[in-house]
Amino acid sequence: MFKRILLALLLLWAIPARAADETLHFRLGEDPETLFSAKTVSLTANQVIGAYLLDRLVYFDADGHPQPWLATSWTISPDQRVLTFKLRTGVKFTDGTDFNAQAAKYNYDWILDKKNASPLLARIGSLQKVDAPDDTTLIFTFDKPFAPFFSYLASASFGINSPTAMAKYGDQYGRNPVGTGPYMLKSWVPGTEITFVRNPHYQQFRGDALNKGLPYASTVVLTVISEEAVAQAALESGELTAGSVAADALDNIVKNPALKVVINKTVTNLLFLEFNETHPPFDDERVRRAVGYALDREAVVKAAYNGYAHPMLGPLANGIPGYDAAIGEKYGTPFNPAKAKALFAEAGYKPGPDGKLAKDGKPLALSLKSYSGFETINRTLSIIQSNLADLGIDSKIETADWGSFYPSLLKPDWDMDLMRWTSSDASVLTSIARSPGHRNMTLANSKQDEILDRCQTLVDQAQRNGCVVEAQTSLLETATFAPILSDWLVTITQANVKGYHLDYFNGVIVGDIQTES
Amino acid sequence: MSATTIGTATDEAPPRATGLRWLGRQLLRQPQAQLGVTALLIIFVCAVIAPALVPYDPLQVDAIHRLLPPSAAHWFGTDELGRDLFSRVLTGTRYFALVCLVSVSISAGFGILLGLLAGAGAYWTDMAIMRVMDIVLAFPFILLILAVVAILGPSLWTAMIAVGIAGIPNYARLVRGQVLAVKHEDYVEAMRAIGAGPLRILFGTVFPNVISQIVVYTSFAMPVAVLSASALSFLGLGAQPPLPEWGAMVVGGRTFIRTSWWVVASPGLAIFLAVFSCNLLGNALRDVLDPRSAPK
Amino acid sequence: MLGYILRRLALTVPVIIGILLVTFVIKSLIPTDAVTAMFQGQVTEQEAKVAIDAMRHQFGLDQPWYIQFGHYVTGVVQGDFGTSVRTRRPVLDEIGFRYLNTLELTFAALLVALVVGVLSGIIAAYRRDSWMDVTATTVSLFGISMPAFFFGLLVIMVFSVWLKWLPVMPRGWTALLLPAATLGLIEAAPLARVTRSAMLEILGRDYMRAARAKGVPERALLFRHALPNALLAVATIVGLQIGHLIGGAFIIEVIFGWRGVGELAVRAIEWRDFAITQGIILIGSATFVTINLVIDVLYTWIDPRIDYSAG
Repeated sequence: MFKRILLALLLLWAIPARAADETLHFRLGEDPETLFSAKTVSLTANQVIGAYLLDRLVYFDADGHPQPWLATSWTISPDQRVLTFKLRTGVKFTDGTDFNAQAAKYNYDWILDKKNASPLLARIGSLQKVDAPDDTTLIFTFDKPFAPFFSYLASASFGINSPTAMAKYGDQYGRNPVGTGPYMLKSWVPGTEITFVRNPHYQQFRGDALNKGLPYASTVVLTVISEEAVAQAALESGELTAGSVAADALDNIVKNPALKVVINKTVTNLLFLEFNETHPPFDDERVRRAVGYALDREAVVKAAYNGYAHPMLGPLANGIPGYDAAIGEKYGTPFNPAKAKALFAEAGYKPGPDGKLAKDGKPLALSLKSYSGFETINRTLSIIQSNLADLGIDSKIETADWGSFYPSLLKPDWDMDLMRWTSSDASVLTSIARSPGHRNMTLANSKQDEILDRCQTLVDQAQRNGCVVEAQTSLLETATFAPILSDWLVTITQANVKGYHLDYFNGVIVGDIQTES
Repeated sequence: MSATTIGTATDEAPPRATGLRWLGRQLLRQPQAQLGVTALLIIFVCAVIAPALVPYDPLQVDAIHRLLPPSAAHWFGTDELGRDLFSRVLTGTRYFALVCLVSVSISAGFGILLGLLAGAGAYWTDMAIMRVMDIVLAFPFILLILAVVAILGPSLWTAMIAVGIAGIPNYARLVRGQVLAVKHEDYVEAMRAIGAGPLRILFGTVFPNVISQIVVYTSFAMPVAVLSASALSFLGLGAQPPLPEWGAMVVGGRTFIRTSWWVVASPGLAIFLAVFSCNLLGNALRDVLDPRSAPK
Repeated sequence: MLGYILRRLALTVPVIIGILLVTFVIKSLIPTDAVTAMFQGQVTEQEAKVAIDAMRHQFGLDQPWYIQFGHYVTGVVQGDFGTSVRTRRPVLDEIGFRYLNTLELTFAALLVALVVGVLSGIIAAYRRDSWMDVTATTVSLFGISMPAFFFGLLVIMVFSVWLKWLPVMPRGWTALLLPAATLGLIEAAPLARVTRSAMLEILGRDYMRAARAKGVPERALLFRHALPNALLAVATIVGLQIGHLIGGAFIIEVIFGWRGVGELAVRAIEWRDFAITQGIILIGSATFVTINLVIDVLYTWIDPRIDYSAG
């Protein structure tokens, strides 16, 4: 009897939330090109796939530690080459087929098969094979230990798709994705709108989820809105439940009682200056460091990002495991024009009669490249140019769209570039800075290269974080790049929205979101 | 056309001057044209002497005094980087003038030449030139500029060149049409009869007769060039930061339209007034020259 | 007549082939293709090399441009317009619904342009050199004197944000109103000018003066005689406008989130997804040619004196 009352009470408590037949409207900045996790590395596609369609083996908790999700536990072999996962039972894909170790193996084998040309080949290290000896055991065997694997396993890229659906739809699977996630794809009008409906059999296993039952909202509609003014107006009119808008517009929104601002300051992006080390002046470490001291990061934060960012002195964003604020404080180059001037002088660049820095009678003139189409980037470039001008250095800004800008960095005719990178794992340091660098313009440095390589092979998280600290220190000591800031993730929701929160990697847990009437 | 007129065409004052002077006189009678000409004169004078007029360095960043509303110190306020908007808008006249001059010179230079060649040349020359012009005309403008960026690298000049190239076909078509129209006029035949070479006929006689049409068309081509260049700024392919090109300023400040309207309003109004003046002038010019609506 | 139509069509074939040829040459000059564009900024090229090479091979992007061109033309002749590298959907599927959207916007905008342009043209001609003439001209020049993105932004601010008359999300038939009005006002200026001058010409003719002297009402003169003549000139301009509205209205489409061909063209170029770009060029040119033909044929219907069989 007592049990029955308890059950009734529980049901009473659960029903109002569960029966919620509401529809949430969110903004998408662009239309994802596919919703097949193994076919894309786009941030937008991964956000959608990760939030609605695919659950993963593990997730990261608020402290940056991996926690069981579709896996229940795991062991790492002593040589760190073999990882054995125990998987949950009783989970089903939304097409009714079973989730099990064979299904997971099918996904990873698909990525490993070179003829499928998956971009995720870049994210599996030396994965040799995946075995599924029984329904609940999944074994990854690597040639060499691969440190970033847990971060990647937790990302949408390595979510588990239904093998049956993959085989059924073939090349069109990206338009018909099926996973075990909280929602199912209902319709997709290309370039316009994606509609998801609740997975009626969803089981929430994440420890950081607020709602352990079925997702609150029955339907979620994602509308593609690329223009900021439109997104802002749609939030104000209530047509959107939530969405991100440019930091510039926030002054208006924080004053609006109908809207709520959700700010996430633990982020995985970094805006930084890179240098072409293959010719003067940036073959000289002192000059690179001098530029670091010349950057007025506070001004960039305030004027270019309207205050919605924090200045960075270290090379790793604060949302990536291994981040250590002390390193930036100790080895970084905070804004200090006097120090910058002194370092330039030390490297031979002294002010001439016109106040312009020159060496051997030749004035210093720098080119500064970046990508176009983003006002935050344009403004940052203008501030950097102004900072350099204050020191007596002429610089020329060149921006072009990504497709023109990024390949142009392979030609050695530039000096500096402003770059922004987003990554959930410290391996981003190795990808970018391990000589010869991602654009072949970083000089070899045997000590630093050894550290960056080593960090890629430590699967044990404590050991790895130690190595990542070493790497951050080294990158600052060699002034390989000059960090500027990390911008915050700002989401606007209607004031009556409850449960909108982001996980460690800035993914949204959609099942937690509900609106109070 | 009588023999006396032939004499006029070859021996006396060239018709071009007469045409233009007449045009000028007619124009200045029209209030629309007066307005347009005055505005454009002001802009071009500002473009020349802007550095002497600006109260502040238009590029000087000042993170503390950002987004200040218009005041006595900053007539148009300051922008998101604390730069003085009055100085920037004033300096922007230079880029307006530059885009007008460079883009339109490219369009007009090549377009007139090709149009004359096509109109006066043999059947196959005409055919070849005009089909190439058709290709340029139908070609996606953004793709064209990407190609120019790939070759020349990104800059305002690249944008101006691409805008210039895109405008060539219209000039070529106009000039070709005019040449075909006058080709068989008596005075041209007469020139030929007295033994003038084809080049002399082309540039000495035919060209002066189409120049008024070219002037009219240019008054419309200029605003189109300016607006195209600013469209490129919208797509991130135009003027480079921190250049105070009006289009780029509107694009850069548009997220502030709700909170700090002056950041968008000053360059937006500047571009509107400048282009509107061009269009007024163009309308007036066409009126004067259009035989159908010629002044009573 | 039929011979004329066929000759016109024959002339456009080399132009379209020429455009495609230039596109392929440009494609080979531009340092990024659709495959690398997909990976840029997320995965370094060294890391993604296997995937990039395999995808390039799959889509034939590893071949010289002239081979790719050959394949493309062969495909098009057989009705295959290729596949988008980015979305892996057939190009026709990507373009089809957007083309209809663009046509919808184009004709709605033309309607606005015709109403505003022809009306202000009539008013201007009717009360020539009066304040009404000046006002009408000014109004007609308003839209064409601003960058389209600025005008579009102002329209959104006024009608959706301040007045709250219309929803901002691109949904339903009301979504058509703002972009069509904006585009229509931009296109109104040439129509107003042509209408005005064509009507002035007729009104200035001797027989019109005679008719006026005889006491024929001014309104009858305007609408029965002057207007039909002006419409002939208007038709020419409209033909040109349809041409550049299809694919040329990209900024308005981007600003208002209108899923049209122009918006797709901008994205496709950003993605370097040339299969889409080429498809848009083909469909755009075909439309342009068709519409101009239709208009020329209409001429002979409106004005039987025009005879193309000779020219």
